[in-house]
Amino acid sequence: MSAIDFSDPKTIAFLTEALTAAGVDGLEISSASGNLRIVVSGGESHVSHGVKASSKPAVIKAPMAGIFQPRNSASADLPHAVAAADVLGFLRVGDVLVPLQAGHSGVLNRRLIEPGTLVGFGDALFEIEAQS
Amino acid sequence: MIEILETGPFNTVQDLGRPGYRDIGVSASGAMDSLAVRIGNSLVGNDEGAAVLEIQTFPFRLHFTDRTVFAVTGTDGNPVLDGIELPAWCAFTAEAGQILELRQPPKLARAYVCVAGGVDVPSVMGSRSTSLRGGFGGYAGRPLEKGDQITVGAASTNIPLPASGLAVVEPSIALQDVVPASPDGTLLIRALPAGEHGLFADDGKAFWDQTWRISSRSDRTGYRLSGDAIVPTQTVEMRSHGVVPGVIQVPPGGEPIVQMSDANTAGGYPKIAGVIECDLWRLGQARIGSRVQFVRSSHAEARAVEKAVERYIADLRQTIPMVKRALKAMA
Repeated sequence: MSAIDFSDPKTIAFLTEALTAAGVDGLEISSASGNLRIVVSGGESHVSHGVKASSKPAVIKAPMAGIFQPRNSASADLPHAVAAADVLGFLRVGDVLVPLQAGHSGVLNRRLIEPGTLVGFGDALFEIEAQS
Repeated sequence: MIEILETGPFNTVQDLGRPGYRDIGVSASGAMDSLAVRIGNSLVGNDEGAAVLEIQTFPFRLHFTDRTVFAVTGTDGNPVLDGIELPAWCAFTAEAGQILELRQPPKLARAYVCVAGGVDVPSVMGSRSTSLRGGFGGYAGRPLEKGDQITVGAASTNIPLPASGLAVVEPSIALQDVVPASPDGTLLIRALPAGEHGLFADDGKAFWDQTWRISSRSDRTGYRLSGDAIVPTQTVEMRSHGVVPGVIQVPPGGEPIVQMSDANTAGGYPKIAGVIECDLWRLGQARIGSRVQFVRSSHAEARAVEKAVERYIADLRQTIPMVKRALKAMA
């Protein structure tokens, strides 16, 4: 997919119009360069941009929409140590499961979503504290 | 390339089999758990019937000489890649030099290693399955040995596997509504009465009502069952006739034999029943020593189960590329 410049006012205006027409309340897009959040409320829209900052505990976010399903080993006895390649859980789409890898080695501190919840792209799922 | 570092006996290359040559005495062969092969191949982007490694003796270790997309299916255990336990029924990308280890599954019998591009051995009579009895097909017509170097076919490159991999809800869970379960863990296998069912007293009661044990004299050719012998009410002289996987024969000793993937092509023992095709993969995962009971089924039920299994596979084959595309777009 070619990169779309989400900071371009024309793109934002187009998306806002499309959301209004579709009767959708809002939209959030995260990319490497930052976040775009559009909230449609009663005919006016609020646009907010955020620049990504590397926060201390790493947060594992949903790579797409799906039903959140932690792996058994990831839900027991928090906190516990994890390796970057460990699979902490899955997002379920039909009978397909998208693995959620830790991505960082450290200590898995928290699970932020209840099992069985439908999550959207970018929702925070796990918090991992880097090992010092 | 895949290099075998450690293997037990009777681990072979298999695909979905070589049907159509029984008339010249060639067994169909093919994976004992064909559903695991179809799903594993779907995960790594292959046609359903690409060749895979069937592992039934453990531990088993292999070395990927190149970056390879792979999935381990069938097993209820976790494969280990370079010391990290990964979920089964999940496709991952192994880097060149990584080592995959399979340990004895906790309850089931067999694991399948599926690789993107398929195991590239010559196709013989339309199949890459190993025919152990014939000594052809698969890898040089024999079980895998330590040091074997197996070529992997060219992987289709249209949609890449997501970096974090991709998995499925395994069939024992996804299909639980159409799979019978017994409270004490006995494997319930559905079967239909076969040709000589009428020779057994009380409508085959002794066969259907007892729990059989899979004896140690069981292999890919057939499962011999131990239990109280069942005998026909009259002795019949039968000519040998064609036999297919799933056929349950009763030899004179009275302990039934279930023909499996490497089924004999012909036999003359009375046939009491036939396992429905959609339960063969479940029986194929039953271990020696485990208990099995046969449940009398109907053609209508067999057809309904078959449809449910096909729906599950069709959904997977449609959803897997869709999810891959979505993750690629959002990456």
